Amino acid sequence: MTAERPTFSPFWHRVRAMTPRLRPQVQITRQHYRGMRWHVAHDPTTNQFFRLSPIANEFVGLLDGTRTVEQTWELVLSRYGDHAPTQNEIISLLSQLYNSNLLRVDHSPETEQLLGRGKERTKKKVQQQAIGLMYFRVKIFNPDRALAWLEPILRPILNPVGLIAWFILLIAALATVLPHWNELVNGFGSAVAPSNWGWIMAVFVVTKVIHETGHGVICRRFGGQVPEMGVMMLVLLPSPYVDASACWAFESKYRRMAVGAGGMIFELFVASLAAFLWTATRDTGGLAHQLAYNAMLTSGVSTVLFNANPLMRFDGYYILSDLLEVPNLMMRSTMMLNHLAQRSIYRVKNATPPSSVPGEQAILIVYGIGALIYRLFLFVSITLYIMGKLFAIGLILAVWTAAMWFILPVGKFVHWIATSPQLAEFRPRAIATSLALLIAGALIIGAIPMPDHRTAGGVVESDQTTGLFFGADGFVAKVHARPGDFVKQGEPIITCESPELAAQLKLADAMLAEARSTEQQAVAKNETANAQVARGRVEAIEAQITQARQRAERLVVRAPFDGVVVGADPANFVGSYMKEGKPICEFVNPARLRVAASLTQAEASWLFELPRDQFSVEMRTLSQIDRFIDGANVRIVDAGQRQLRHEALAYSGGGTIETEQQTDQRSAPQAKQHLWWVYVDAKDAAQFVAGSAPGERVRLRFTLPSKPWLSQWIDRLQKAIQGRVTI
Amino acid sequence: MSQALTRYHALFESLRSRRVKPKVPSGVDMAFGRVLMRAKNRRINIAWLRDQAQKIDLLSPEFRNCSDGVLDEHITRAREVFVRGRADEEAVRRALALTRETARRITGEEPYLVQLMGALALYHGRIIEMLTGEGKTLTGSIAAPLLAWRYRRLHILTVNDYLAARDAQSRGQLYRRCLCDVGAIVQETEEHERFEIYARPIVYGTPKQITADWLRDQIRMGPVNTPWTGRQSLMTAGRSGGPMIPGLHAAMVDECDAVLIDEGVVPLIIARSRREHDMANIYRDAARIAAKLDEGPDYSIEHVYRRSELKRRGQHRARQMFDELPDSIWRATRRAEELVRQALVARHCYVNGRQYQVVDGKVMIVDEYTGRFLADRSWEHGLHQAVEAKEGLDVTADRETLARMSFQRFFRSYPFLSGMTGTAADATGEMESVYSRPVIVVPTNRPVIREQWPMRVFRTQEAKWRAIADSVAELHAKGRPVLVGTRSVAASELISRLLESIGLPHRVLNANFDKDEAELIAAAGYGREHGREASITVATNMAGRGTDIKPDDAAKKAGGLHVILTELHGAKRIDRQFIGRSGRQGDPGSAQIFVSLEDELVRLHTPRLARLVSRRVAATGDELPSASHAWLFRLAQSRSEKRDRINRASVLRQDDWMDKYLPGH
Repeated sequence: MTAERPTFSPFWHRVRAMTPRLRPQVQITRQHYRGMRWHVAHDPTTNQFFRLSPIANEFVGLLDGTRTVEQTWELVLSRYGDHAPTQNEIISLLSQLYNSNLLRVDHSPETEQLLGRGKERTKKKVQQQAIGLMYFRVKIFNPDRALAWLEPILRPILNPVGLIAWFILLIAALATVLPHWNELVNGFGSAVAPSNWGWIMAVFVVTKVIHETGHGVICRRFGGQVPEMGVMMLVLLPSPYVDASACWAFESKYRRMAVGAGGMIFELFVASLAAFLWTATRDTGGLAHQLAYNAMLTSGVSTVLFNANPLMRFDGYYILSDLLEVPNLMMRSTMMLNHLAQRSIYRVKNATPPSSVPGEQAILIVYGIGALIYRLFLFVSITLYIMGKLFAIGLILAVWTAAMWFILPVGKFVHWIATSPQLAEFRPRAIATSLALLIAGALIIGAIPMPDHRTAGGVVESDQTTGLFFGADGFVAKVHARPGDFVKQGEPIITCESPELAAQLKLADAMLAEARSTEQQAVAKNETANAQVARGRVEAIEAQITQARQRAERLVVRAPFDGVVVGADPANFVGSYMKEGKPICEFVNPARLRVAASLTQAEASWLFELPRDQFSVEMRTLSQIDRFIDGANVRIVDAGQRQLRHEALAYSGGGTIETEQQTDQRSAPQAKQHLWWVYVDAKDAAQFVAGSAPGERVRLRFTLPSKPWLSQWIDRLQKAIQGRVTI
Repeated sequence: MSQALTRYHALFESLRSRRVKPKVPSGVDMAFGRVLMRAKNRRINIAWLRDQAQKIDLLSPEFRNCSDGVLDEHITRAREVFVRGRADEEAVRRALALTRETARRITGEEPYLVQLMGALALYHGRIIEMLTGEGKTLTGSIAAPLLAWRYRRLHILTVNDYLAARDAQSRGQLYRRCLCDVGAIVQETEEHERFEIYARPIVYGTPKQITADWLRDQIRMGPVNTPWTGRQSLMTAGRSGGPMIPGLHAAMVDECDAVLIDEGVVPLIIARSRREHDMANIYRDAARIAAKLDEGPDYSIEHVYRRSELKRRGQHRARQMFDELPDSIWRATRRAEELVRQALVARHCYVNGRQYQVVDGKVMIVDEYTGRFLADRSWEHGLHQAVEAKEGLDVTADRETLARMSFQRFFRSYPFLSGMTGTAADATGEMESVYSRPVIVVPTNRPVIREQWPMRVFRTQEAKWRAIADSVAELHAKGRPVLVGTRSVAASELISRLLESIGLPHRVLNANFDKDEAELIAAAGYGREHGREASITVATNMAGRGTDIKPDDAAKKAGGLHVILTELHGAKRIDRQFIGRSGRQGDPGSAQIFVSLEDELVRLHTPRLARLVSRRVAATGDELPSASHAWLFRLAQSRSEKRDRINRASVLRQDDWMDKYLPGH
């Protein structure tokens, strides 16, 4: 069904006698989109753009400042007939051009209107910034001169050969880094440690400045101006930006794409260099190693998550948009979805689709759905993450974003349903349809039971675990077992030697012999009193000897049960003199492993409400994240305090529990809230033994009886708020 | 008084008022704005007005006995205070007491307390509701000098030229006594006279005349919107001597609900004929094609929106017919289909005797609100031509719009606006949101003793008309004058034939017979007396506003004027206006409404419900119990009101959009 396009407009008289023309500085370039020719009008002084269809372009081209709008329209009408724009379309074209400041209407100074338009634009800008609180931008300076200096220097490598070289470098960097994958993964823990935050930030800023410079340089390379550089708040993270919009007027789509990709190219170049540095300093460690890691991390993560991702309006989006030759992809895909909803759900007859080219329509639909899902996912995960860290700010942000992304559109939608003239005839049906959809949605959320999962962080530990200590002062002579070695009960783990003790024993033996002979002499002489004294001495010396023997025995530290050495490596002590009671290492029984978790009261309250047989638990160790271990025999212990079961469960250790600021490095971290300790055994102990080591981090996943989503959410929200308010 | 205006001065004034364009708030802003306005205006309420009026009344004896010379001196001094902008409450009270006394001396009528209250409310920029016959003219005329003093120039807008000329004439002496020269702008006023009349402090006119003059100024002066461009245009092309209307200062609108609301969005258009190419054949061809298509399989008509849509079969058939036509316009399918759709609309939504009347081979538009012909007006964009082609008349040349302005937009440009009407309360919301003018209902001087008889509901139109004729006959036999109100010229002629057939003498007042309007209205209130029959008058809305039907003594004795409304109008206010013809100024009177399930109102706005009800009661006879069926008609009426309201809001939005995004004006 073709949409109605009335030829005449009642407002035609307001434009018909005008003799407008494009402002002299406006340049028009040609671009092709999906085989269709378009023209982009660009005013370099104000950096305003406007896309014109060929007919609109011809119309605008015919406006020469002497012809009236009406004469021009009639000319176009006689040339194109049905395809010519209608009066309404001309009016909206003129007003859009005029409001983009691309059109000069007459010679009289229209200060007031110019000011009015300026104000209007400023107001709009402010409104947009308020809406995108998460994407706030501040202009800092004009980088054009700096780029004009830099670009000729880099020009020799800004060509296909350079691109290929860059690609080879990238592959080489990947090839050097990938063999050390495990190290890379392990490095993450120390990278996100608070001590590294400052460095991460610094490296982030540097790589991003290089990134933006990349856009700017390539934009300059193809003749575009870069008038603005500044800082943009990206989800609370300040990040630099440049205005390379001049590239929109480039004729070749590959050049536009090159500008879009320029940032990532430059940034990944730096990341590649960092990769070489990181590999080279792998053995020495130190700051350079850490910084190189930071650079790889920030560029890698930001490139994959943001820049290259076409579902957000970053580089990837523009590249994709140019590649597919679908301009305004985001907006038009939203419009397309709206249009589909209008047409198929509400059966609006006169709805105009944002695109009439079938291929483009398909792209718009696919992209629209993808972007919608991604946006939802991103919203939920970002706000949940921030709420986890900074509850109040997260809550405000969540409410704000929800308002902007959901409540506002819903309000607009209700307004549309209630007042849209398009729906005038079938408003009752439209309302009924919406209500039906709403009820269906409400049923899914509020009535149909859905699986309910809760997660917690835990640590593998053994039921039977003990610290091993030196039993006597001595030099460590021999180590029989290293961490991870299995030791049978009674077998030695570490052997110490004490020359002092040996000498002591020798002396004691000699003294005993002497005392015994004294005793015998006395008995032989029948000096009862002397014999008695000598007897006592013998006994005393004998006792001394026994004691010394025992100590000598304790020089050998033996396994108290069948178990494994964990923790510090006893081999470190070899040769050194150790005092009695000094800890050596931990010793655990791997056959009796369990998982210990610390949960805050809010997190754990359901554990008390629910009978044990109504929920199940699965565990996954971080080293084998894909292997599920069935849990059994859940025990809850009121820790009665705020002490964590294990340091790894705290924020600082990469866990989920908030801890108090630590004043003393040695004391155990204290949680901000009262904690419960929860122990879970493996249903089949063998599953643990197969790969998990004590001390390893574990994700626990409790499966609760299915409940509708709504009650799950309410439950969680209550818990979240409860936890905060009762502080 | 000489009101010599320099060209610059006039221009500057004109520009100043041009720039006043209150924003149209929307959504929450609108609700908030209304709350704010109410809060700001709560001081001026009925109690306050009554209190002030009583204080003014106390001042009266002071002036009652002074000589004319002393009174003039008082007036001069009072004017000084207003001109200097120093008018406080005290000064306003004194001034009103003065104009009241002046009015008494000149016309012999002394304004009542309620009229003082009304005048005071007008002075404070309120829309006042005063029931018909409560002396709105007098109320306005004692407030007008104050406003003219304070705002320098006051436009008083009345319903028609006749009233404008009459009031300017009859009130002229009062105004001149109050040092305000007065003039009236009517259709016949020559252009050079207009310049002079507009320069006077008080100008009477119809909204159409003044808006049109304003538009002509716009056209002549071009896109003048800043003092700078104004100066330029004066220096280059200023030979015509600047604008005709030296700025918009203050306006007092009579029957303001009709002007500001009902007719608010009907655009006033200044157009000129295009003689470039003759389109007559094309319109005739379109009408012929439209006649060949069948409703249903080929096209559908939406009567409510006056829209038609070609279905696939219709498109196909129409295209075949296009191919046989020689003109090049038929090759452009979209434009050609548009012409056919327009011809279909002209065919089905525009009916001779309702929306227009063919007079002397010309299509005359009938104003839906006043029931009068709109002389020299035509529909836009070929619709007029399509109707002419349908009627087989000479097709006039296309006209192109030079300027257009709706009253809604025009009256929002006045910095000061007040108004009066018999029925404002129903339109409070719109007055407040669109014009930011609060509404005040002024109590009546004497209680209304008109009887409202229950609505009678019929299944078919035929039964309704028969019942109306019977009712007229019955009342006529009692010697009461009867006024039968119809919505269209055609309906007035139908009931006229019906009355003729049962031998009832009556007179018809509609757009076709408006020559002896004054005489007819004067006679409409006659009861039976000395062998003279009581009058029966059949009238369209022409008799609905501003007409004062005075029942004579015989009529009063018989029970006063009886008004029969043969149909509900699109808005409740118009019904109230018409019914308000009886029971004026405490006279006896009665009114009754007759409706049927086949009336246009329910057919358009509640078609399904009407059919449902009609089917359900098919067996019960022609007349339906009113109590259980009136809701249907009220529902239809409120839907119609809502549709119009939405329509007005969208026009306002469009106007706003144009102002905001288009250069110039």
